[in-house]
Amino acid sequence: MVATSNDVMPDIELYQPTDEANALALAASLGNEGWLLGGGQDTFGWLKDRNKIATAMIELTQVDAWKGIRETADGIEIGAVTTLTDIANDPLVQSRYGLLATAAGKVASPQIRNVGTLGGNLVQDARCWYYRRGLDCYRAGGNLCYADSPEGLNREHAIFGASRCVAVSPSDTAPALVALDATMVISSSSGQRTVPAQDFFVGPARDIENMTVLNDGEILTAVRIPNTWANAEFYFEKVADRNVWDFALVSIATAMKVSGGTVQDARVAAGAVECVPRRLQAVENALRGQQRSEQLADQVASIATNGAQPLNYNHFKVPLLGNLVKRAVRG
Amino acid sequence: MGEIVRYKRDVWGEEVILGVSWDLLWVVAVAVLVLLAAHAIIMAALANKKMDKPSGEGRRVLRHESIDRAFHWIMAASILVLIFTGIAPIIGLRIAWLNFHWISGLILTFVVIFHIVRSMFWQDFKSMILGPSDFGEPFDSAKKPGKYSFEQKGMHWAVTVVVLAVIVTGVLMFLQIDSPFWDRTNSMPEDQLGLIFLLHGLSTLALVALASTHIYFAVRPEKLFYTRSMFTGWISEDEMAANHDPSKWTPKEAD
Amino acid sequence: MAYMHIGKDFVPPDVPGKVTGRIKYAEDYTREGMVYARLLTSPIPHARVVGIDASAALAMDGVYGILTADDVYPDGEPNSTGLKILTNEPTLVGEPILAIAAIDEKTAETALAAIDVTFERLPFVLDPLDSLREGGANAYPGNSNTYVFRQGFATEKWSEDQVASFRAGSEPTAEAQQEWTFGDLDGAFANSAFVYETTFSTAGYPHHSMEPRSAMAYWEDGKLYLHGTSQSLTGLADDMAGIVGVPKEDFVFINVATGGGFGQRARAGSIPNMAIPAKLSQKINRPVMMRATREEEFTFGGARMGFQGWIKVGFNADGTMSATDLYIVADAGGKGGGGDASSAGDLISMLYQPEAMRFRGTNIGTNSGHRGAQRGPGQNQMSPIISPILDKAADELGISRFDIRKINTPENGDVHGPGRTQVTSAYMPEALEMARARFNWDERESTRRRQRNGSKVIGLGLGQGYHNAGRSGMDGIVTMGTDGRLRIHNGVGNLGTYSYAGTSRAAAEVLKMPWERCDVVNGRTDNHLPITSPQDGSNSTFTNTRTCYGAAQDLLAKMKEIAATDLGGEPDDYDVSDERVRRNDDESVGYTFAEVAQRAMELRGKFTGEAELPEELAEWTQISVSRLAGDWFMGVYHDPRHEGTVTGFTVTACEIELDTETGKYEILDMISIGECGTVMHPQGLKNQLVGGAVWGIGLSGYERHLYDPQNGIPASTGYWQSKVPTYLDTPETIQTGWVDLPDPENPVGVRGIGEPAMGSVSAALTAAISDAMDGHLFNTAPITADMIINQVAGISEEAVPLAQNNFRG
Repeated sequence: MVATSNDVMPDIELYQPTDEANALALAASLGNEGWLLGGGQDTFGWLKDRNKIATAMIELTQVDAWKGIRETADGIEIGAVTTLTDIANDPLVQSRYGLLATAAGKVASPQIRNVGTLGGNLVQDARCWYYRRGLDCYRAGGNLCYADSPEGLNREHAIFGASRCVAVSPSDTAPALVALDATMVISSSSGQRTVPAQDFFVGPARDIENMTVLNDGEILTAVRIPNTWANAEFYFEKVADRNVWDFALVSIATAMKVSGGTVQDARVAAGAVECVPRRLQAVENALRGQQRSEQLADQVASIATNGAQPLNYNHFKVPLLGNLVKRAVRG
Repeated sequence: MGEIVRYKRDVWGEEVILGVSWDLLWVVAVAVLVLLAAHAIIMAALANKKMDKPSGEGRRVLRHESIDRAFHWIMAASILVLIFTGIAPIIGLRIAWLNFHWISGLILTFVVIFHIVRSMFWQDFKSMILGPSDFGEPFDSAKKPGKYSFEQKGMHWAVTVVVLAVIVTGVLMFLQIDSPFWDRTNSMPEDQLGLIFLLHGLSTLALVALASTHIYFAVRPEKLFYTRSMFTGWISEDEMAANHDPSKWTPKEAD
Repeated sequence: MAYMHIGKDFVPPDVPGKVTGRIKYAEDYTREGMVYARLLTSPIPHARVVGIDASAALAMDGVYGILTADDVYPDGEPNSTGLKILTNEPTLVGEPILAIAAIDEKTAETALAAIDVTFERLPFVLDPLDSLREGGANAYPGNSNTYVFRQGFATEKWSEDQVASFRAGSEPTAEAQQEWTFGDLDGAFANSAFVYETTFSTAGYPHHSMEPRSAMAYWEDGKLYLHGTSQSLTGLADDMAGIVGVPKEDFVFINVATGGGFGQRARAGSIPNMAIPAKLSQKINRPVMMRATREEEFTFGGARMGFQGWIKVGFNADGTMSATDLYIVADAGGKGGGGDASSAGDLISMLYQPEAMRFRGTNIGTNSGHRGAQRGPGQNQMSPIISPILDKAADELGISRFDIRKINTPENGDVHGPGRTQVTSAYMPEALEMARARFNWDERESTRRRQRNGSKVIGLGLGQGYHNAGRSGMDGIVTMGTDGRLRIHNGVGNLGTYSYAGTSRAAAEVLKMPWERCDVVNGRTDNHLPITSPQDGSNSTFTNTRTCYGAAQDLLAKMKEIAATDLGGEPDDYDVSDERVRRNDDESVGYTFAEVAQRAMELRGKFTGEAELPEELAEWTQISVSRLAGDWFMGVYHDPRHEGTVTGFTVTACEIELDTETGKYEILDMISIGECGTVMHPQGLKNQLVGGAVWGIGLSGYERHLYDPQNGIPASTGYWQSKVPTYLDTPETIQTGWVDLPDPENPVGVRGIGEPAMGSVSAALTAAISDAMDGHLFNTAPITADMIINQVAGISEEAVPLAQNNFRG
């Protein structure tokens, strides 16, 4: 028999590597026993309530190589343990990739952004309350979903791409990075690999227990944003119940190149409608080469919501997604 | 290793069955490999003592009608897809397996229903009945079977039981997920659901063992003509004479 | 009237401690040998404990003992509603089953995990209407679903059709548990020019006090010392002694500061968990600290009752409210609720003074959070529902939305409620006019109402709040030492409103005492405090200014008597000024306060509390006085009862800009006007109005109380999931104002304000949302973004109408 609430940190071995090699070696040797700690905002709740167990923790925020924002030949590279506040306030990010600066500035609350990292925001686990409560649902290795049922409390859940699990991607920065065509840099003791932002996130159909392609021993160490979309016209909007300290009900991130009122190119991604940031390629295709207008906005809004399969309590996400796409097109 | 059943806590914190322990998959794989390898070695050692292989030439008799061959291969394909898609996430392959799995499961269900109905009214059902006399067959080389040998009947009925178990539990599990036909519910109590998962898992393990064994025998040289017959429908009269008792099975001549 | 203290801002004595962080809350105390208790709470919404096997846990190193319901209630648990200290029949997830004490919390947690509790699962229910349905599960012990006053547990059932037709929007036809009526209802409806009828629902939600209800206890020399958290001090301690089972004279309750009290920390019965460390400490003979978690604060911290209601309101052609017919099924949660439903009816009878009214109400239990008093219990659920209905009537009858409120508003001499009780005073017309003027209401109505800017629409809302705000019949003690300082013994809890200090100033006022020469004696009951009413129902200001004033008057009379006896003349020839009691005709003749206190100590008897005490002093006060007696120059007072209903009124006006594409709205401007008699403490009043506003915004726009209907587990246990409004969800500034006219039943004219401060804001906000939505009435609270989006998009979800503990109610 377990108590329903614990709120006491268990014994845990804390590793605080300061260089990259050490951190990667620790991650490799500890494997799935080594909990990766960024800002801690997706950590302490799990561990204090003993809903997830870890025997060791590797604090990543002391590795300088994984911190900061650097200009590269092809754009910028942001270390994964850079805080969201630093990203939101960075002049380079603000001037060239305002989409990300805005999105980072909309995460949670100032207190959380001050300690929360970009990497943490991207790899954070699902926020489905059943899962967070520690229930043994599909995502936790169980054999059912409590949310996807006629009575389940699923107002915040997915309208697209559900497969047994109906949790959504909670990250605000993820859709922005998909829209910016960013690349994720994944390091491990055996080397480095890069994955396009869009492919970094995994839905439940492919892997019901993990939200990213990260394997044990791998660490997201940086995010590269190419020049392709620098200084494009950006639109980010997050609709949440509250204006601070909340996850999106739906968010939209768009990058558009517009010339003379005509959309030359566009990348559009929505958050909190699917288990991954949902890239709206059909919308992008419909926008390309079109003159910006209210009519175009209406047209692509209905494309955006095509195929949505709302659950009992989240029908509102369908018009909301359409409305946000409209607003993005209007600019 | 060592456990057969995995447990979880239900929504109120009490321990219930989650399903089979997938460590058993490796146990089954190793056991089947070892047994089949042993069989292969023994057969190889005994090979020179065997009679000559009957000829596939000459007149042909009909062993499987085309509709039954189609059934067999559809069933085989669906079972292989089911095993692959079911096992993929367990062994860590990140593929979108679920839709393939339930679609294959539905196909399997439909063809099995078809087969049951057909076998009872249109096929020679008796030819598959496993009677007490069949059990003497392996020990008496003079005793030849009718249409199906003792081993074939044994395999058939084992597969029947296991496939029916997989189908019944699979359909019950299918009812618990969203499909184009219905939205899922949480109507099944967690302990019952766990039991269904356990039975599905156990029957899957049995099916893996049976399928492996079946494939092994299907490709064994002395049985290959049966496999051929499952493609072409016929066996030669020579093969018939060597392996079957015409007083117990009088097949039509093949086209 | 010009006062020395009343109506003036001051620095309450606990402020420096709160600003510097030095003030101590229950969790901050420690005691040598202290061990830590943790709770095992029910994971099941309704169950019976069949067995507890703690042998493995008790065998662990560092584990000191266990406390179960059998220890606490050796003769069986009381057969009543309300939280138990510990229970063997939990009726909600999170209810404490047992506590374990260990060297530290981690050890206690590990020990808890090793305890095997066997439960028998019982049927549970999360919606009162589901329980009312024939065959529906029942939340309470003995297969009952309600608790009837003076009768006990009972089972209430409606037919399937009765439930279905109510959910479908019709008037409930079942007989209600409670009913009151006045006037000719049918006649009044028949003569009405406009009648509006609807079902409605309001959400319950918890208190979310910042400080969870932690407690630490130890026993010393046969006395129990309990560091706890409460919004009352003596009002709670008096009953707490009984709950723990310790004589009042052997019980010391220590509670210097409390991190939030909004109803459920007022009385011992609603915080029985404080008895756990007390009982455990007694059992294992060590000091025990029990820290409650945020989730525990949610589950047994108490929540507001949700309503499933039906209302029919009629208006005459001139806009006066002719009749109201109200039927409420109130969600009494897992442990029995309160009188919210009737209070909701009373709000309408008070604020709109209908000619005729009928109230019917039924409380039904659900296996959800414990329910009880929460800031304006009942009145504040009704406020956001009734306000848009008034606007609809105004629009239909062609009357301004301001006028329809002004026409119906209560005034001095008006009566209310089933008893047709007269108000002590009511200056609601003045409050309305003040809001109208300060907010430029008329101009906004004519120029900004429903103005559109793209997808955004301006909505304007007016709301009113009411709560009865004052009691009487309590006791007061003041003492003075030979240093001449005035010591005001105040049993009021320090719940953050500063009323413990504010009400003390009535005593300083009587003796014209400079505030820096006064000491508020408070914080722990061994400071010898008088009994007070619990600090709930917005009563402290009215109730305790009367007792402090009375006790100081007693001291003043004694001063005059001593002066007259010693220095000649009659007592009435004397008065006080500059810390002296002196002759009116010759100010040089008199005593300083230090001198008169010295004389009192010499004279003793009634002057030092050793004789001639008021006859009706409460037992608690008697103990305190007896312990002070002989050591101090003392004023003691028992307050007689007052006549009439003490009112607290507020008026709020707000302007919002609602975005029809996102369902979000921004509150552009808001003003809240308080009408609470003479203003005692302007800064405190402002805090009450602004704090109430934030909560009112939460009630109408944000806060929710979610339980999974499938298994009864709570989904909104913390600040995030409960959607308590944040800084950016509230207006940048909330303007405040007050009427400041005296109430005749209070010696310094004051009345309370806490509760209505929330109700008027919630009323104004739903009115503004409906206004922005072209007059659409949601008839529910809260109204969240998804509801607005669905309404605009014409989506009707498959949710069950009037559902409780869910997204839509």
